[in-house]
Amino acid sequence: VGQLKLEDGPGFPESELLPAIVKSSDDAIVGATISGRITTWNPAAENIYGYSAAEIIGQPLTILCPDELASEIEETLAKIGRGERVVHRETMRRRKDGTTFAVSVTASPIHDGDGGLIGVSAISRDITEQQARAAAELGRRADELERANQSVESFTYSIAHDLRAPLRALGGYSSALMEDCADDLGEAGRGYVGRILAASQKMSELVDGLLVLSRVAQAGMHPEWVDLGAEVARIAAGLQRGEPERRVHFAVERPVRARADRALIRTVLENLLENAWKFTSGQEDALIEFGTVPAGEAGVCCYLRDDGIGFEPAYAGKLFQPFQQLHPASDFPGTGIGLASVKQIVERHRGRAWAEGAADEGATFFFTLDAEEIA
Amino acid sequence: MTTRSILLVEDNPDDEMLTLRALKKNNILNAITVAHDGAEALELVFANASGGGPLPGLILLDLKLPKVDGLEVLRRLRADERTRIVPVVVLTGSKLEEDILAGYRGGANAYVRKPVNFAEFAEAVKTLGLFWLILNEPVPEFTPQPD
Repeated sequence: VGQLKLEDGPGFPESELLPAIVKSSDDAIVGATISGRITTWNPAAENIYGYSAAEIIGQPLTILCPDELASEIEETLAKIGRGERVVHRETMRRRKDGTTFAVSVTASPIHDGDGGLIGVSAISRDITEQQARAAAELGRRADELERANQSVESFTYSIAHDLRAPLRALGGYSSALMEDCADDLGEAGRGYVGRILAASQKMSELVDGLLVLSRVAQAGMHPEWVDLGAEVARIAAGLQRGEPERRVHFAVERPVRARADRALIRTVLENLLENAWKFTSGQEDALIEFGTVPAGEAGVCCYLRDDGIGFEPAYAGKLFQPFQQLHPASDFPGTGIGLASVKQIVERHRGRAWAEGAADEGATFFFTLDAEEIA
Repeated sequence: MTTRSILLVEDNPDDEMLTLRALKKNNILNAITVAHDGAEALELVFANASGGGPLPGLILLDLKLPKVDGLEVLRRLRADERTRIVPVVVLTGSKLEEDILAGYRGGANAYVRKPVNFAEFAEAVKTLGLFWLILNEPVPEFTPQPD
């Protein structure tokens, strides 16, 4: 055993130093046999777990953890047996009084002088406070983010709202010029006014689109069980009534039950169906399908497929951005706000929305919804 | 038929001018008075009411107004026996549910959101004028009895 030389002290034997460190540690330091019988127990362990050394020595390590986690101790011992360590594993432990608490555990093999495995040392730190602090911090950040989002949304709303009056004036006076002073303007002048009118028309659409998006973002959520299939069938019937001459076959899976805000999810389905309806308008006989695909845990994954003009797969991500239109507005009118609201609403339901397709080979829009209770 | 006058309560000079123009363009030639804030609107209406003069056949009321806001104007009109039955159409920029609800609760006869697009705006003004001044049967002329 070596002797540690300290500059400002007389130095003392390592054999005394190590027990002193163990004794004064704030972390529970526990020694055990390779089969898991407790052999050493420091004062911090006594504090943290509530057992005295006399009570606990000779007991199995499993006494220190909730029954359902007993296998974790076996697993750790097996690892130690293979000469491996467990480092900073966050788990639960149980006190003498039966209460549980969060710990971070590091377990290492103890070898004798010849390198033979003679036991295990486990250092555990009570991280209850640390976790509570982290959770509080996370909650605080989530609140902050929520507030920031809210203020962005209300800012968007008020900007868009305040733009409406001057925009109406712009369009209004341009129309007045065109109607009342057409002769004085001359041909070039009338052309310019026409362009002002078209631009203010375009801007009106953008402003109204922004208002729609910000309303979707701020609308109250009242989740309930909704049969999406029934909603799709209802919307499809409406589309067909609007253009009875079109031949479109709808294949709709029913029921498709999901928890969602009825008004908002209707907006999603309306937008998707109107899109499908619009982009199959060139088809003699169009097919629009609504159904589900197997989803992961506790959720539903729906799709709406059409056999219309499709899109270049490279632009799949752009589809959901506001005011992005992949097809010329002259061919397919719209403001490019529909899919952006779809994404916004699905994400508010903690789901995901994406699209798959190819040019001239139709498009499929997927979205997932939580089947669990949502806030 | 007596020609009923219109009271337009509007603080935005552009919306005022465009509304007047849209009415004229659609041959709605009723007399139009403009009040530029809520206080002026109330003065005009109640001065006429007290003096036994004719009440407007239709009030087009913006909600966001200087001095006295639109909802307060509406409340006072509805609180007074003489003006309780004058048709009031809220014509405003807001499409917020709470504003719409407040308008109806306050006793508005209709709530119309000013379209941002001018052509639609002109159409809305025309429809309103035709409905309230021509199609709709007016409130019969009568002299309210004091309580």
